[in-house]
Amino acid sequence: MPEFPTPETFSFSPSFQELAIDRTIVERDLGYRKGPPPEIVRQLIDEILPEVPLRLAIQCGFRILPPDLFSLTESGIECGDVHISTGPIIASQLKKSTTAALFVSTAGPLLEQWSHQLMAEADMMKGYLVDAIGSEVADRASEWLEKRIAERVTPRGWTITNRYCPGYCDWPVTDQQKLFSFFPPDFCGISLTPSSLMIPIKSLSGIIGLGPNVKRGAFQCSICELKDCFRRVDESELAAEQR
Amino acid sequence: MNEILESLQRCVERGKVNIKSPYPPDMKGQDGTDELARKALEAGIAPQDILSKALIVGMQKVGVRFRNKEIFVPDVLMAAKAMAAAMEHLKPFFKSDELKHKGTIVIGTVLGDLHDIGKKLVSMVIEGSGWEVVDLGTDVSPDKFLKAVDEHPGCVVGLSALLTTTMVNMEATVQHIKSKHPAVKVIIGGAPVTEEFAAKIGADYYSPDPQGAVEFLNTRCTPN
Ligand code: B12
Repeated sequence: MPEFPTPETFSFSPSFQELAIDRTIVERDLGYRKGPPPEIVRQLIDEILPEVPLRLAIQCGFRILPPDLFSLTESGIECGDVHISTGPIIASQLKKSTTAALFVSTAGPLLEQWSHQLMAEADMMKGYLVDAIGSEVADRASEWLEKRIAERVTPRGWTITNRYCPGYCDWPVTDQQKLFSFFPPDFCGISLTPSSLMIPIKSLSGIIGLGPNVKRGAFQCSICELKDCFRRVDESELAAEQR
Repeated sequence: MNEILESLQRCVERGKVNIKSPYPPDMKGQDGTDELARKALEAGIAPQDILSKALIVGMQKVGVRFRNKEIFVPDVLMAAKAMAAAMEHLKPFFKSDELKHKGTIVIGTVLGDLHDIGKKLVSMVIEGSGWEVVDLGTDVSPDKFLKAVDEHPGCVVGLSALLTTTMVNMEATVQHIKSKHPAVKVIIGGAPVTEEFAAKIGADYYSPDPQGAVEFLNTRCTPN
């Protein structure tokens, strides 16, 4: 009997409430960390947030790779005859993993359409705020999924690493083609274009290492080279939020 | 400087559109760019002065503050809206040729890429600096860029991309344009783009932010 029933995939549709996105989080995403945004921005966010659940199609899912086919290399992972080159930085974060979960998450296409519609009607501000909320939804959906993955492996005494995405730290965006090859077509409603762009745009893909001895390790932002990214979250902020 | 022009500049900076607008709260009940542009024209101030001594100056301050991360995208959007309200009053003067744009920039997100907002933002700031912007949208093929350059002789081209995989399509676009119009200047931007990459693909300039693009346009792409 394999340790995990594979090649099974798991998918979920969490509600917006479960992602716990509030105005403060959106404000931070917009860059306002040191001071509040203009009042009008606050009002608009308050106006938009209740409408968001009506325009969401959150989906997320993962697959745990069969441990007997899984191995770690200096610069990535191997599963059967597929080599995924995460690059040395992410490979070192996956150290000691017995296997890994590959995952995707998406806010779905509706928020994006709403944002485009608003901008086409010349309401750039509201369109931009909806767009930013869409990004946060995709992000939080993968965070939510990470907890489901943890729940699945803790009964056997395993822990999980942080999540890491293709396109960060020398892991080529094109490797998403390999990552998606482990999922059924149109998994969670996400498709990948030849230029490795996920459609819907508000989607994320990535990997989480699993095993009895893995460490949670560095959060993606702290190993990312975009040092002055306006969305950078430092670990103290993250810890404060999780408290 | 003229009082009306000074107020007009401040309204652009602060994003004050008109007297009815409750934003910003400390300017409630005061004239916005809409009223002030009209009053400036009524007072006989030359449209060129309204544009270059008030609107462009206000927008430039916004561009600089955004680059310095003192303000963020929503603040820029508000300033652009205030700028646009004033520009409505200047439109007739552009039509009659009394007012001229500094030049034209054809801008778009390259083939394979659907990201729009960064490019839109750059467009607004460039427009606010007195340039005409022709926005071709997203997923724009090299052919479509070339056709637009044909239609706008003497224009500058701006390319945007948000992923390393679509950024490579900038190279083909630059080559395609320059093979027919070697003198056309191309400026590129977007999160994964770097100065080295710009040099490698033969683009003329890279800027991480809208203001850098404005400065390049004003210093390196105008006849005088
Ligand atoms: C929010 C965000 C997301 C959101 C949504 C993104 C969206 N566009 O809708 C979510 C969370 C869904 C996401 C997903 C992904 N993302 Co992302 N994301 C970002 C982030 C943090 C901000 C992007 C943003 O909204 N910027 C705001 C707008 C206004 O800025 P902008 O478009 O960059 O434009 C500005 C400048 O670039 C410049 N500019 C733009 N165009 C032009 C043109 C000219 C001529 C000039 C002069 C200037 C200029 O001026 C603009 C205003 O300042 C960036 C990192 C960053 N700080 O940029 C990563 C980033 C873009 N993402 C990245 C990656 C890798 C991904 C994923 C592939 C990860 C994954 N495997 O899941 C996916 C891809 C999604 C897909 N559909 O395929 C990489 C891309 C680099 C690369 N390797 O290709 C970045 C750069 C992060 C990084 N650390 O490397 N992402």
